[in-house]
Amino acid sequence: MSLDTLYTAETPEGIALSLRPAGVVPRVLAYMVDLGVRLGVYLAVSMVAIPFGGMGRGLLLVTYFLLEWFYPVVFELMRAGATPGKRMFGLQVVMDSGLPVTPAASITRNLLRAADFFPFLYAFGLVSMLLRRDFKRLGDLAGGTLVVYRETVALHGELPAAPATAPARALAPREQAAIVAWAGRASRLTPARLDELAVLARSITPAGEAEREGDATRQLLGVAQWLVGHRRGGNR
Amino acid sequence: MTPLLFEAQNAPLWKELESALDRAENKRPPKQRDKTATKVKPVPLDGARLAELYRRSCEHLALAQARAYPIHLTQRLESLTQRAHRLIYRHHDYGLGRLKQLVLVDFPQSVRAHRWYLLAATLLFVVPMLAVGWATWRDPGFILHLADAQQAQEFDGMYDENARAFGRTRDASTDWQMFGFYVMHNIGIGFQCFAGGLFAGIGSVFFLVFNGVQIGGVAGYLTARGHSENFYSFVATHGAFELTAIVLSGAAGLRLGYALLAPGRRTRLEALKHAAGDAITVIYGVIGMLVAAAAVEAFWSSARWLEPAVKYGAGALCWVLVIAYLGWQGRPLPRSGASDAG
Repeated sequence: MSLDTLYTAETPEGIALSLRPAGVVPRVLAYMVDLGVRLGVYLAVSMVAIPFGGMGRGLLLVTYFLLEWFYPVVFELMRAGATPGKRMFGLQVVMDSGLPVTPAASITRNLLRAADFFPFLYAFGLVSMLLRRDFKRLGDLAGGTLVVYRETVALHGELPAAPATAPARALAPREQAAIVAWAGRASRLTPARLDELAVLARSITPAGEAEREGDATRQLLGVAQWLVGHRRGGNR
Repeated sequence: MTPLLFEAQNAPLWKELESALDRAENKRPPKQRDKTATKVKPVPLDGARLAELYRRSCEHLALAQARAYPIHLTQRLESLTQRAHRLIYRHHDYGLGRLKQLVLVDFPQSVRAHRWYLLAATLLFVVPMLAVGWATWRDPGFILHLADAQQAQEFDGMYDENARAFGRTRDASTDWQMFGFYVMHNIGIGFQCFAGGLFAGIGSVFFLVFNGVQIGGVAGYLTARGHSENFYSFVATHGAFELTAIVLSGAAGLRLGYALLAPGRRTRLEALKHAAGDAITVIYGVIGMLVAAAAVEAFWSSARWLEPAVKYGAGALCWVLVIAYLGWQGRPLPRSGASDAG
């Protein structure tokens, strides 16, 4: 668990929401994409504006200013909570309470980009991100924001069907949880690996012949089914 | 209770919450099915029911976690509660009313709440400005410590009697272009003054002193060279907004720095977060003031056809207005204060 970079935020109801902060690499890539988008917008505006002489050039400078400082703010305050680059990499800016980002926090984190950029190429921001488990840059620290992955990964699925069998002995809650979790990962592990793990739990499954490959798996799946509440042979 | 029974008993409730969330989250873009939407009015979302469903799901999640139910079940509940949490606790008061409140009350109030930082920032800005201004006025050659000879010549050119418009080099063109330049350049300086505060305030101190020295040097030099009327009539009006805004953003930066150095009874990070939340209100106002300054500087200050006396008059008026606004706007009415006390 300590290897994980999960970030938990507690709600007023006393439950813990887990957020997955995004690390340096996807955020740098997202920044690159955004840089491209900003450059594209700037070029497009300049093509339209330059023929208008002084007024056009003034408009261009204002565009540059807005793209530089407020491009991320505008997109973060929209429903997706992410600039196009972040959206492309499945990222999202949220408050560190798990809520959608507020205007004040978004402006704070984006104005303080100037500090993150210091002394060159986001050096301070990168150092800050690398030193912290939640990958906050300086602007995130002051704004109380967090860049997270929007989707959660589903490592566990429904338990595969198997005839329910009672375990050979009474199981402690931790053992029960381990077996059910093992069964939940059945769809993501290779059958060989699944079997390898099941063999370790031979003492739990009812004594019997387990000569053929897969027997141990089938029996332990049965125990798992029994643990989640199935009683009379796989009724599902 | 087995997980299976738990799921069977509570699944209808989760389904209901899920569909309510779907509806609430997709309410915003209803354009796709306009024709059907006009006929079948969707039932309005019942907030009380949603809150109840949310609390029940929180309860279920806590139970599922405590009883180590299968992880796919816990995860389903987690994502449900997370969505509902976002929906229920989001802030949604960013309309024009909020802006009005900001301009009329919050910004001046938060400036006054930062008055000691403001005093420090003002001193950091004004003292070097006056000192260097005095030095360059005594000896115009002092400007060469701050700028090279070519730049000094440019300063001369910007304000001499033949200048087409004040405050810009000869090749720079129209008012609009200068407006764009001032927006980009000056607001950038303001933001730097603020962001520099994150380095224990050192950055803010640096930018305040640096800008004070620069401005003082140029002012002293131009005064000594005999361009004082052109120069002071140029800066009088927009200076009211621009100099104040730079000092304000420096003060906001100092607030951040002080929170890091002396966090009080919070952790340093908490203190920083708290300070940033307060200081950002000042920055909102700074942005507005710097945009106003850029407009005034580009379209009014540089105009040659206005008499200096008019510009001085407008400048004085702006200074009085800005100081009065920051000093008194948004204070509670004396009468309501008395009734509160009584």
